[in-house]
Amino acid sequence: MRMAPHGLLAGALASALALVCLGCRAHQPARLFPPDAAVLRLALADDVPTLDPAAGYDTASWEFEQVLFDTLLRYASDSNELRPDLALSWEVSPDARVFVFHMRADARFTNGRPVTSADLRYSIERVLNPKTRSQGVQYFLPLLGAADFAAGRAAHARGIETPDPYTIIFRLDKPDPIFLHKLAMPFAAAVPKEVVERWGDDFARHAVGSGPFMLKEWLSGQRLVLIKNPHYFIPGRPKLDAIVALIGVNEELQWLKFEAGEIDVSSIPPAEFTYVMKTPRLKTLTIHHVTATTNYLGMNCRMAPFSDVRVRQAFNYAVNKQKLVAILNGRGVVARGVLPPGMPGYDPDIGGYPYDPAKARRLLEQAGVRAGFAPVVWLTADPTMMILGQSIQQDLALVGVDLLLKPVAWGPLLDAVREPRAVQLFLLGWGADFPDPQNFLEVLFSKAQWGANNDTFYSDPKVEELLAQASVVAEPARRYALYQQIQQLIVGDAPWVFLYHPVAYVIRQPWVRGIRLHPLRPARLDHIYLAPSVAPRGTAPSAADITP
Amino acid sequence: MLYYLIKRIAFGALVLLGASLITFCIAFVIPADPAVAIAGAKADPHTLATIRAQLGLDRPLYVQYVRYLGRALHGDLGRSYARRQSVSGLIVARFSATAVLAVCAMMLSLVLGTLGGLVAGAYRGRAPDNVLLTLSLTLVSIPVFWLGTMFLVGAAAYVRWLPLGGFDGARSLILPSFALALGSAGYYSRILQANLAEVVGQDYIRAARAKGLSPARVMLHHALANAILPLVTLAGLDFAGLLSGVVLTETVFNWPGLGRLAFEAVFNLDIPLIMGTVLFSSFLIVMANLVVDLLYAWLDPRTRLA
Repeated sequence: MRMAPHGLLAGALASALALVCLGCRAHQPARLFPPDAAVLRLALADDVPTLDPAAGYDTASWEFEQVLFDTLLRYASDSNELRPDLALSWEVSPDARVFVFHMRADARFTNGRPVTSADLRYSIERVLNPKTRSQGVQYFLPLLGAADFAAGRAAHARGIETPDPYTIIFRLDKPDPIFLHKLAMPFAAAVPKEVVERWGDDFARHAVGSGPFMLKEWLSGQRLVLIKNPHYFIPGRPKLDAIVALIGVNEELQWLKFEAGEIDVSSIPPAEFTYVMKTPRLKTLTIHHVTATTNYLGMNCRMAPFSDVRVRQAFNYAVNKQKLVAILNGRGVVARGVLPPGMPGYDPDIGGYPYDPAKARRLLEQAGVRAGFAPVVWLTADPTMMILGQSIQQDLALVGVDLLLKPVAWGPLLDAVREPRAVQLFLLGWGADFPDPQNFLEVLFSKAQWGANNDTFYSDPKVEELLAQASVVAEPARRYALYQQIQQLIVGDAPWVFLYHPVAYVIRQPWVRGIRLHPLRPARLDHIYLAPSVAPRGTAPSAADITP
Repeated sequence: MLYYLIKRIAFGALVLLGASLITFCIAFVIPADPAVAIAGAKADPHTLATIRAQLGLDRPLYVQYVRYLGRALHGDLGRSYARRQSVSGLIVARFSATAVLAVCAMMLSLVLGTLGGLVAGAYRGRAPDNVLLTLSLTLVSIPVFWLGTMFLVGAAAYVRWLPLGGFDGARSLILPSFALALGSAGYYSRILQANLAEVVGQDYIRAARAKGLSPARVMLHHALANAILPLVTLAGLDFAGLLSGVVLTETVFNWPGLGRLAFEAVFNLDIPLIMGTVLFSSFLIVMANLVVDLLYAWLDPRTRLA
């Protein structure tokens, strides 16, 4: 039967409408939470990469993993002090090679099974297993027999002993004064073997832990819903009933949603930052902290003329760091050395390199660098980095250096800087994994890290010697004194232009309480609660959904 | 007709093969190591070698391509490096959101474009035509990300019942559909107006008028039926583009569709996901071309003889 174009059009429209209705039904949110439920509403720019603690190694994954899972130790909510989590108490041998933990007996996975030392051993061995492809493997290789286990030559890592269900002992092949901090990373979180083996690579989508929240729903690119774990071992915690994180909400849209009261905590887009800080009502709702991060301009010490320390020092004097902080609307602290404030071993008296273009010109002349020298700086193709790069470009032009900017994507940048003679200059930053100077000074400046994290290819025999000494010293005062000495040597050799330590800001609604920013880790969501008198009521999944 | 159909399907398969080959080559030319993408920058050489062996990345490139193709024919597009999920599963999960938005935007642009074209055609050279000309040129020229952002800002300030992004029910379709449809609607109206101008000078239209039919009937039943044909081709190809995901609109409106998935895949250098989304988009475009050609042949019997 022939149809007229109009009939065809009508048929197509009807089918399309039916499809739209079906599609909308499929994407309707779950039933709402009851009206009196305390639901924290968040928005994330990108999807959460994973909820598998063996796999995640990024802020977004850790933010949720640290409330879904438990580790033996955890950090206090706003400091680097270690607190017990699954552990009740622990002992460390004087040489920092043996660590004994006594675990609590009342911790349960959300499937109801108690958490035992065998679960912790399984979880860490899972990280060591090459099939897991975990980025955390490096942190547990110092365990005795870890290499044999990883290579399939042993059924277990013999450096992990479980004499009873609630005691676990770790033995290392060499002293590691920061091993306790490694056990506080989500990589060391307890996971139930039976659930992991059931789901395999899809464990992240069916994550089961023992933390204060449990996974309810994770719709890729749409939303992540966590609900309170009724079996959680701390009575009365968490105070929230649920957390709903919308996924894929860019910073500008987050701001609109925050202003409309649709989300409870938001980042502040650069364009709105000045407005927020000038509006008393909003300014009082902001929370900030100096991150344990140092942003720097790296100089390849193996490539001329940056192999000459005078050139590197000249660049340090030539760059106006105060201007960079001003460009960031004050969201930074000028760096005078490698270590950020708050990091053990941080030296507030270190001089650094004040802005002094005249001195920079003199040093460049002494090094024989003529006007018109045009090095290339590699940086990420990110608007903020480009503006900072342009500011550095202007500063260096004043001392006769015609800096060229090469914006590239993150992956190629990382690959390029690891090549010994590919990149003269690069803009990067380093955020600490642990509150220990080793995590900066050894990881970024030892020769062993050439082609990995030491991208300036810096090496100094004295620094190498001191790094080797410091790495095995457990006594904090002596350890930090050695690292301060190392930092002074590195600052003198100036493989970086030390730029700034970023200051992170978030804004909360007036009803959000208990939110604290941590120097190293994402804020702990289980400490947050909503003030009952001012909290909005409404959206999110139902009473039936909350019931596990 | 059957021969024509077989020829077109065979040609489509060839295009898909070419697309897969080009994407595969591009993916492996990118200066990024998939093993590093999986295990992280700090992974030791042994871990990286193990991952390469597990994924078959240590095999010759042609072996990897043949294996990929074999799996793809069985619907297995591999696992995403960044998300550690099945690529096919991710595409299926995101496609329904994109399809719903694409259908709404296409309906809206066709309805608005046809109405605009008809009015402009009926009042050719007069005030309504000039107003519509200005309007449609403006709409075509406005970037969709700007229009979308303005819609969101406006909704946040004045229309509080409209959701600010996300895909939670029919109301959330309104803003992204309009943002996406207005540009196309402006374009379609100009195309239709030009076609109508050409058609109304034809003998059969004069004959219809001479028979005493009303101007509305002449325009709707006789002129439109012929003038709208080129729009079918345009709309078909545009629809395939919409189905492949509209990166900017989906990003601005936090729409959980294919476009955003592809964007995130490129951003993360997630090669299996890049390949999967490109292959799926190519498939949609090939299918849309096929459907448009068949539709055209059905609507205009003269093309079947060609």
